[in-house]
Amino acid sequence: MKKLRVAIIGCGQIADGHVSEIQKLKNASVVAVCDTEIIIAEQLAVRFGIDKYYESHVEMLDSEELDVVHICTPPGTHLFLAKAAVDAGCHVYVEKPLALNYQDTVELVQYVLDAGKKITIGHLSEFDPPTLELRDLVKKGVLGDPVHVESWYGYNLSGSFGKAILASPDHWVHRLPGKLFHNNINHMLNKITEFLDDEEPEVHAFAWRKDSDHSFGDVRDTMYDELRTVIRGKSVSAYGTFSSSVRPVGHYVRVFGTKSIIDLDYTSRTVAVDRGATYPSAIGRLIAGYHKAWQYARSAARNTKKFYNYDYHFFSGMGLLIEKFYDSILNDAPLPISTRNIVRIAWIMDRIIAQVHGENKS
Amino acid sequence: MKVLVTGANGFLGSSLVRALLERTGYQVRCLVRPGCNLGKLDVLIGNHPGRIELSYGALNNYQTCLEAVKNIAIVFHLASAKSGAPAEMFHGSSVATKCLLEAVRNLAPTAKLVHCSSFSVYGVADLKKGETVDENTPLERHPEKRDTYAFSKWHQERLVREYCQKHGIPTVIMRPGVIYGPGGTPISTRVGLNLFGLFLFIGGRNMLPLTYLDNCADAFVTAALNSQFSGEGYNVVDDDPITAKEYLRLYRRDVKKVRSIPIPYFVMWLISIACEKYYARSKGQLPDIFTRYKTASMWKPQRFSNKKLKDLGWTMNTPTETGLNINFQSLKES
Repeated sequence: MKKLRVAIIGCGQIADGHVSEIQKLKNASVVAVCDTEIIIAEQLAVRFGIDKYYESHVEMLDSEELDVVHICTPPGTHLFLAKAAVDAGCHVYVEKPLALNYQDTVELVQYVLDAGKKITIGHLSEFDPPTLELRDLVKKGVLGDPVHVESWYGYNLSGSFGKAILASPDHWVHRLPGKLFHNNINHMLNKITEFLDDEEPEVHAFAWRKDSDHSFGDVRDTMYDELRTVIRGKSVSAYGTFSSSVRPVGHYVRVFGTKSIIDLDYTSRTVAVDRGATYPSAIGRLIAGYHKAWQYARSAARNTKKFYNYDYHFFSGMGLLIEKFYDSILNDAPLPISTRNIVRIAWIMDRIIAQVHGENKS
Repeated sequence: MKVLVTGANGFLGSSLVRALLERTGYQVRCLVRPGCNLGKLDVLIGNHPGRIELSYGALNNYQTCLEAVKNIAIVFHLASAKSGAPAEMFHGSSVATKCLLEAVRNLAPTAKLVHCSSFSVYGVADLKKGETVDENTPLERHPEKRDTYAFSKWHQERLVREYCQKHGIPTVIMRPGVIYGPGGTPISTRVGLNLFGLFLFIGGRNMLPLTYLDNCADAFVTAALNSQFSGEGYNVVDDDPITAKEYLRLYRRDVKKVRSIPIPYFVMWLISIACEKYYARSKGQLPDIFTRYKTASMWKPQRFSNKKLKDLGWTMNTPTETGLNINFQSLKES
């Protein structure tokens, strides 16, 4: 069996997840890592027992005869690094957002396809257990026709990455056209495009900074941390919420269909279907509560079984996404995430950023 | 004469600034992050008008470092990341140190560097039970097997040693043990771990390498003032150490009750084996918080020497009994 030779460019926080998930696979091995700051490349290589580390991606691509490159650098570098990897004959897994704007996204996707290579994006929650269960329910017709989607993405600015963003006006997030949103709302939007069939839906967005009384006196004052969006397609509408101040920090999706409403909670990995009261009068309302409780209990029991079987990893979505991407490379299976979806999300993001931060022309 | 303190608004940093103001006539430049809480520095600025200069910026920015080291005679490098993801901790420790060293080399090559390292750089897992950890103890051979803090501190010290040797920067490396005092961690990991509301008391009768905050700060000032301190590492621990058991007893008496389960070293060893097996079998479903290597590094009984530090003139001003009283009083009030 051919074993893919994989390398990572960009050895920051998320690179840990990539390496640990790839190291679980039998058909791939991480042979090198690269970061412009050699200390950061070294620490990753040493912790995970990877032989080679580089500070120049050119040197690494020239020396390593790679099959796949994972690009985990800040978004402003994705386009040129991914092109360089493709030029070196590699398939590319690019962290979200794929590029800084719609035009660059289309350019990169086309570049990869023209070279006969494959591309995917780091939408790991598209392969998290709740999404897989939702797809299964939709396939079985439980939802009926989708009417509306509510996608909620909570963000913790007190977490380690959030603290780093707030600690320095030089952090790369402040240089993104859409700042904090640009680096995160892919996770909010990909749940919506799953049900939206339109290429260019109607998008309305507004944003603000919750703690606007506190002033840093620099670029950090222009970083919004609350976003509300309304999206309307031909047959499905959606609300997207990004919030940094709501506690607990959650990641929820609610899909409203013509037959039922499906609730997903990505933190507890639970899924519940609301089919409405099936019994008349007050008894119907009473039973509905027990019905919901039963569904959550079943979800929890399923999760416990997975945990018992060592199948309940923190990055399980990323693991499955990587597995499917490598399968598409080795066995010509379909891409785990269609390029159409990647491009549509970039288009919606451009509309949102233009409305809250001004036209996105970066 | 002007000195620079990085990490000046941190736990040890603010105490060092106070010691410098009280023991020397130096002007003290404090490097702090923009928008950060100045903490105890605010009080010191008020008490010593005109002696403290604040320099704002992130240490991993070269321009910030250049500004910070301008006209500086001594650099006290205390800044390092204490928590966060590994890459972030290395950015906050080693990458920041590299920037600082580069700035020192280019703008203040004759400045003396007093670097704050840690006891965690020693390869104590390879030592026998009861052996003394002194400056001749070999440094860690597998820092990556320890926790990220230990790994990043080891890497930071290696960087300082290699860089300063190569470029002839006069350097002193200070390796404090467990620094305690008001504002610090209530109970060191060497005593035990708080897990899901229950305290696992693992330290038993192990000696703790304690150093009271002000004693530690004094050691740094002494190292800077005494020209005999050069190019080497120095342990910073107090003269009269106590055991983990005694520390917990006093904490319970003076601060608050603690529900604890005593875990003997051999039981911890067995737990570590089980955790390692689970980690391997489950492919990392839970983090490998306990391994035999980590357990040996943290809880194998050792003794600690401060002879080298004392031989060069450091004396402990605050006895452990007094230090603990102050610390526990502060914890009780908070």
